Amino acid sequence: MYLRPRTIDAAVAALVETKGRIVAGGTDVMPALVDQVRRTPFIDISAVDDLRGITISGGKVRMGARTTWTDIASADLPPALHGLQAAAREVGSRQIQNVGTIAGNLCNASPAADGVPPLLALDAEVELTSAAGRRSMPLASFILGNRKTELRAGEMMTAVTVSALGPAARSAFLKLGARRYLVISIAMAAAVVERGKDGTIADARIAVGACSAVARRLSALEKDLVGKPFSPAAAEFVTAAHVAGLTPIDDVRATATYRTDAAETVVRRVLAACLSETAHA
Amino acid sequence: MTTVTMTVNGKSVTANVDPRTLLAQFVRENLRLTGTHVGCDTSQCGACVVHVDGRAVKSCTVLAVSCDGASVTTIEGLANGAELHPMQAAFREHHGLQCGFCTPGMIMSAVDIVNRKGHDLDEHTIREELEGNICRCTGYHNIVKAVEAGAKAMGGTVAAGIAAE
Repeated sequence: MYLRPRTIDAAVAALVETKGRIVAGGTDVMPALVDQVRRTPFIDISAVDDLRGITISGGKVRMGARTTWTDIASADLPPALHGLQAAAREVGSRQIQNVGTIAGNLCNASPAADGVPPLLALDAEVELTSAAGRRSMPLASFILGNRKTELRAGEMMTAVTVSALGPAARSAFLKLGARRYLVISIAMAAAVVERGKDGTIADARIAVGACSAVARRLSALEKDLVGKPFSPAAAEFVTAAHVAGLTPIDDVRATATYRTDAAETVVRRVLAACLSETAHA
Repeated sequence: MTTVTMTVNGKSVTANVDPRTLLAQFVRENLRLTGTHVGCDTSQCGACVVHVDGRAVKSCTVLAVSCDGASVTTIEGLANGAELHPMQAAFREHHGLQCGFCTPGMIMSAVDIVNRKGHDLDEHTIREELEGNICRCTGYHNIVKAVEAGAKAMGGTVAAGIAAE
């Protein structure tokens, strides 16, 4: 069975009726079904216009669920979202970014999803819609584990919202893989840092992905960075203890020991990039 | 079965397909346009790249029915009769292939790069932009040369490339 609704209401009604699977770009759904009979009903939301696009108003940036990574990478967004835009350019390859969507990346809930660390660092909220109405929750509460989310039966993600922050905020994203392109991360990190009036760090939000079942914020590091100089030198305050809470696994891409070591380096580098004047020229 | 209508290489096609049919399957099996290759079937290798509404996509993970109303260009849609598209001619001239399996996807991506980035492409840009296309024979050297030359040639004969979109 295949349905292609044109509105959010019709999509939600189709979900209730068919218990089908929401598909937008299909870049995660289809490869997972190779060699299997595709029995699940598909609810293709690629024709729901209201779910695509980025709007900035009232200090908030709202991204519709099926906004593609190419849409995000090519949009004119404030510096706090430059890290998210850098991550957008790392999702698969250009052809994947052209169809793959922000909500797909989040609902797929891969521990190595490129979109998650930058959105966690932005304190993103996700909007979930069902026949009963809408609810919002922090992204940090939405992803529960490897491929597990808070999404209930009959519910779909309809938007992702972040604070635009001001011109005093900077952001960056860095991904380490076995090669430069088209790669699943060994470790990745995102940073959003706000500069205080006195020229020190007023607020820092750092998230690491691919080193735990769900990407995590490094709250101890975030606290330690407040009051430190707003310059790449602040990266030197990162220690092994700051990443000790990560729980990486051994797998085909790297060992847990390597990942922990790499995470520390990646965090240091992402901070340095975030705090360098030239990174956002 | 679901009815799907799309424009493929400038011609309108309508077909009744199983809604689970992927775009790559549809062009190869229903339309017999077998120039689009399926290498990995998991959207990694890029052999299946086609253009949908002017954007490069990997057709092995796109449902054919989701392209209802869209305009699709496959490798067969580039040449003007017996006259090769400038990018195809450049791949032949510079021997940008060995076994040829990745070539249709390489050329479709290369044309997309030119459409987005213009006719004057440096080596770094080409290598970076070809991230989604894997070749296991050539080591990419001649592919990069071919894309650079093809991009310049497309600048001289814009009509063929853009009109096909």
